[in-house]
Order: sequence, then C-alpha cells, then structure tokens
Amino acid sequence: MTNEVKVWDLFVRVFHWSLVGAFAVAWFSEDVERLHVLAGYTVAGLVVSRIVWGFTGSRHARFSDFVPTPGEFIDYMKAMLRGRPPHYTGHNPAGGAMIIALLASLLFTALSGIATYGSEGKGPLTDLMFSLGDGAGAAIEDVHEFFANLTVLLVALHVAGVIAGSVLHRENLIRAMFTGRKRNH
Amino acid sequence: MKKLLTVFLITGTLASAGGAVFYAGAAAGEDDKRMNRRDARTIVRDFRPVMNAEYQNECGACHMAYPPGLLPARSWERIMGGLADHFGDNAELAPETEAAIKAYLLANAAERADSRRAAKFLASIAANQTPIRITETRYFVRKHDEIPERMVTGNPQVKSFANCVTCHRNAEKGVFDDDDVRIPGYERAHF
Amino acid sequence: MKKILLITAALASAPGFAAHPVVEELMTEYGAGGTAVFSAEQGRALWNQENRNGDEVRTCASCHTADLRKEGRHASTGRAIGPLAPSADQERLTQRAEIEKWFGRNCKWTFGRTCTPEEKGHFLAFIQSQ
Repeated sequence: MTNEVKVWDLFVRVFHWSLVGAFAVAWFSEDVERLHVLAGYTVAGLVVSRIVWGFTGSRHARFSDFVPTPGEFIDYMKAMLRGRPPHYTGHNPAGGAMIIALLASLLFTALSGIATYGSEGKGPLTDLMFSLGDGAGAAIEDVHEFFANLTVLLVALHVAGVIAGSVLHRENLIRAMFTGRKRNH
Repeated sequence: MKKLLTVFLITGTLASAGGAVFYAGAAAGEDDKRMNRRDARTIVRDFRPVMNAEYQNECGACHMAYPPGLLPARSWERIMGGLADHFGDNAELAPETEAAIKAYLLANAAERADSRRAAKFLASIAANQTPIRITETRYFVRKHDEIPERMVTGNPQVKSFANCVTCHRNAEKGVFDDDDVRIPGYERAHF
Repeated sequence: MKKILLITAALASAPGFAAHPVVEELMTEYGAGGTAVFSAEQGRALWNQENRNGDEVRTCASCHTADLRKEGRHASTGRAIGPLAPSADQERLTQRAEIEKWFGRNCKWTFGRTCTPEEKGHFLAFIQSQ
C-alpha cells in the first residue's frame, strides 16, 4: 500500500461506471423506446464530456498522456506476445488505443442512433433523415446495430485486457477504477 | 503528432466500416424482406412517416400523402383502380408509377402497418365494407365528433377534413397526437 | 429553324425567367400543328376562362389563384400548392413528364376535356412569362 499513487481522478471514475451503466441499459432496452433513447443520449453526453476532459482533465486523464504512437502500440503488442509487457502507471499503449476505439465506436453508435430515431420522425435529425428517404433510414439502422455490436466486442476485449494486465502485473485494475489508486512503478 | 495518427487510424477504420455497412444497407434497401424485418420489430403508436418518394410526389401534390395504415388493403386496391375519377379529379398515373405506388400502399396497409392507430381504424371498418374515404371510417368519425363543422368545412383556412396537416401539425410525420392539434382561427380551443 | 428562333425571341422578350430548353422543345412540338408563336395574353385568357361543372365554376385560378407567383390551394382538399411561376420557383417548367402529366390531369378537371396543343402552347407562354 505504501507506494500506491492516485491515478484515476474522480471524473474519470464516475464517468467510467456511469458509462458502463448507461450502455448496459441502452443495450438491453432495445425495444423500450423511451428508455433506450434516454440511455443513448446519456451515453452520448458522457462520451462528449470525456472527450473534453481528455484535453482539460488531470494528468492520466489526458489524451496526450495515454494515446500511443503507432510505433509504441506495436512495440507493446510485441512485448505482450512475449509475455513480458512493461508496466505503466496510467494506461498502457494497448489500453490507450482501446479508449480511443471505445469512445469512437460509442460516438458513432450514438450518432447513428439519433439518425435512426430521426428516420422514425423523432429527434433532431428528423428533417435530415426525411430528406434522405426511406432507404437511408433502414441503412442507418444497420449502421447503428453494427456499431453497437462492435462496442460490445471492444468491451469484451477491454475487459480481457484488464484481466490479463491484472494477472501479469499482480495488481487489481478493477479495484483501481473504484479507488483511483494504482501501484507506482 | 504521431499520437494523432493513432487517433486517425482508429476512428478512420471505424468510420469506413460504418460507411461500408451504410452503403451495403442502402443498396439492399429496396429488398422487401429487409423492410418487413424492420417493420416487424416495433409497433408504433401512430404511423410510420411516409417516405416513399413516388407516393409523396404523385399523391402528395394534391392532398397529404396519407399513411397507408389509415385504410385496409382492399380500400387502397379500390382507390388505385379508379384514378381516372379520383373524388372528381383526374389522377391518372403512368402504369409503372401506378404499380409502384399501389405496391407500397398494399405492403403498408392497415393490416400490415404494425401501428396501434391503424389497428383501431381497421377494427372500426366492417369486414364487408370497402371505404375509400378515411373520413367515413367509424373510428375517424368518432374521433372527430366533437369538432363542429364551422371549424373545418365552414372554416376558410381549413376547408376540408382531407387536409389533416392544417390542424394536426405533425401529421406529415405520421403523428396524430391530440396535443399537436391547432385549428386555424380557433387557436385557443383545446382538444 | 425559323420557328424555333421566333419562339426563342418571344420567350426572351417576356419579363419572366429564361425558359428551360424543355419549354422550347414542347412549344416547337405544340406548334407543329400550325400556330407558330404562342401568346402569353391568350394563355392568360384561357387561365381565367370560367367553366361550369354542375353548380361549380372552375378555372385554373380555382387552385393556383390568379397570381401565379403566390401559393395556391387545392380546391377540394385545401392542400397548399407551391407557386407555378418560374420566377417564384425555378423548378417549375423544367421537366417534360411533369408538364405533360399536369396538363393531362388539370385540363380534364378544369375544362372537362384534354387541352389542344395550341392551348397548351399558350399556357406555356403565359406561365413562363410569370
């Protein structure tokens, strides 16, 4: 406990678990329109505020801290395949890349969801979707489902990565997302 | 800067995958099975908005492009069979246009609209009747019985029950909620 | 060729918008029966000509109003009809199939018969000048 350090700030932790909740609600309320739309907008709002926080937040919350260069990402993946990835205090390069992929996939899910809603005559994109016609409405719904499924796949990889990282470095990364504290070396 | 490249690589890959799905979907958009699958998923309260371009252009020029769920298939069949005298107007169409519009109307008629409102219209029509006026269905009559004639046919700003959108301001989107109703000249009345 | 020049000259001198090639094409076709140059004034007279249908008096203006730059209303349904004048809506008189379709439908409603090519030519000249 002695060499633990604060890594995840309060915003990041609250954001993380709210997102888990809102996405889960959206995923399972597919056929309950009001709840689904509410959860979807919540996801969109959370993602947008996380992007803002990525520029303004505390050290390890910033994109500049955890987005890897392509080279760093590849080196890290190679090290991981050899079973000896280096330890990072904040996100490791694979984790950092995953954050970007998750945020992008969630954002695309939300946008295509709002467009699908518009094609049913509701929400801010109604006029746009009407101008595009019925085919576009059905197609954008496919896009929405694609990104929702992709997000679930990414979540699975994310969780697998967290478990792998926890085992390899003998630290409880899930607990860290509650307490905000991680080992410092 | 190289970090930015990572962001572009990831978001770009996702966006192109989404684009590919969209174009594949748009290309298959005319496929009936897909549309039926989409329609079968949810039951709407009022009507799905009319987004058939030919129906909108041809029929929507003279009257609102009524949601096909307002009448049963047999009614649309009868209406489309008599376009030369369409309520006193000549509404003849090129044969291929007529066939396309008829197919759209029949595929989305009250029996297949997956709409609670359409089900009510359908239930109010006796099985041995084939109305061609929406205004003559019992459900329509019942829902409009508290509206005095002077507000509609006697109202120069409205003129006819045929023009739903004059009072039902979201009718073009398929929404006929009481809360959206504003009768021109009687804005302060509530329904 | 001379005929086309005459028509073009007539259209160019009109105060309205430059005519779409489709209008010139149709006028040439309508003119093949004899009348070389169509007149906006005769078109206007036809536009306002009153026709009886039972107790009802029908004119083009019944739906489109006498001022083609204004929005009209369908006589029986009350549906808004966008202005017909090309000066108010540049999309007007640009599609052959639309022009022919509406001549077909609306002549039957207004006059109870199809219009002659000559009448259609006058109508085009009149509408184009608006």
